[in-house]
Amino acid sequence: MAERNTEQIEKIRDVVAQDLLSGRIDLLLGWEKGHYWWQSRPLFARSKKDLDKLVWDPFCAVNLSRYLPDELKIHSKVGVLVKGCDARAFNRLLQDHMVQRDRVVLYGLPCPGMLDYSRLAEEAGGNLVGLVEQNGRVILKTDSGEKEAERKDLLIEKCRDCLYPNPVVYDQMLFSPQGEKSAPERFKVVEELENLSAEERFAYWEKELSRCLRCYACRQACPYCSCRECFVEQENPRWQGRAYQTSENFMFHLVRAYHGAGRCIDCGECERACPVGIPLQELNRKLIKDINELYGDYEAGLDAELEPPLLTYRPDDPAAFSEK
Amino acid sequence: MSAALNETSADWEPLVVAFCCNWCSYAGGDLAGTSRMSYPANVKVIRVPCCGRMNPMFVLRAFQRGADGVLVAGCHPGDCHYSTGNYHGRRRLSAFKRLFEFAGFEPERFEVRWISSSEGDKFAEEMETMTAKIKALGPNRKMRDARWQSVTQSK
Ligand code: SF4
Ligand code: SF4
Repeated sequence: MAERNTEQIEKIRDVVAQDLLSGRIDLLLGWEKGHYWWQSRPLFARSKKDLDKLVWDPFCAVNLSRYLPDELKIHSKVGVLVKGCDARAFNRLLQDHMVQRDRVVLYGLPCPGMLDYSRLAEEAGGNLVGLVEQNGRVILKTDSGEKEAERKDLLIEKCRDCLYPNPVVYDQMLFSPQGEKSAPERFKVVEELENLSAEERFAYWEKELSRCLRCYACRQACPYCSCRECFVEQENPRWQGRAYQTSENFMFHLVRAYHGAGRCIDCGECERACPVGIPLQELNRKLIKDINELYGDYEAGLDAELEPPLLTYRPDDPAAFSEK
Repeated sequence: MSAALNETSADWEPLVVAFCCNWCSYAGGDLAGTSRMSYPANVKVIRVPCCGRMNPMFVLRAFQRGADGVLVAGCHPGDCHYSTGNYHGRRRLSAFKRLFEFAGFEPERFEVRWISSSEGDKFAEEMETMTAKIKALGPNRKMRDARWQSVTQSK
């Protein structure tokens, strides 16, 4: 069992219970425990009683904003708990006109970063049965005893290089913000790949992508993939073939990543959702890095008023090809 | 499939697909023709309304179906028939070109050029250069649809 952060959970419950009762919101999107103690899954709370299941623990990685477009079809007002990445996802959806600001109440949760079960298990060595957090350290409990580790070494991939753990948009901030963060290694893998030859890069991606099941979990988890009809399911023309072959893998992955050009908020949910561990985030980050280099710094999701770089231009823009 | 496309033969000829904008580059190709300039028959031209209309899926699909190189040609910046189409195209195609290369494709396989309707000579020249580059590079085997490959190999 993970130690429950009872005080914080009580506070969240108090605030949202009032709003559910008063009718300010009809539904709250939060988290509840999943099948295992190290899983927290989305909670759809419609009554005060549902809130008994609410948790806020180091496994609440699921980006809840992704559920808003669907829930707003059946509820008139929805409340949602937002970490840093959920808040940026909300801005993304707002820019795509998939949500309406006045129909959503955002409760801000500054995020300490979520923990990765596979890293915990590996670090613990034995059969992991629970954990306790203490001042930036995690005490892992196994059948045979306890082991301590640095919290930052146990974070899930997407939290390691997260720059904005504090919600950038909210109606009510529930706790005091986390300190400033830096992410010096955000583009490290991209740069390593850039330094390889074309042949080596192709071999790398061909191998990585060959595991793709085309289950589209990456798309389902993604806040920029809000299209009603995705190109992979279009029948006429049928862009995405079903065959298991290299060219179809590249078709899907290049187009999926490209659809996020200037839009991806770098929340890493695609990679976290992928059942076969494809490093999808590196494709997304390549685009973020290049667009920033070519057309100026831009962080998707930070400010819904700023125009995404591929929706605008300057007459004197540089190009990645010869313009002579 | 024509013998020109048979990859195993020594006199292999590349297939280059050129997406040309209706208002400038396609007219540039017309001018090259009416001025009796010649350019390689390896180039197959597909007319698009504007280079801002280019969906990268067109490019990937061309490669899947047998292209060895793809060129997108549009009006010079500032000359777009729709005023800003090529400005948008420049950003989008730049981002795509970099991503395409990041995935391990050779930079020469996908190019973008500005060719106006009065530049028949430039049109012929660019088609010449592109074809020569792809010929030196060899056939595209990375992004080719397996069914297409079996068709050519059985011939
Ligand atoms: S992959 Fe592209 S078409 Fe499909 S949902 Fe995402 S953005 Fe839309
Ligand atoms: S989640 Fe992974 S396996 Fe599924 S479609 Fe996406 S990349 Fe492929």
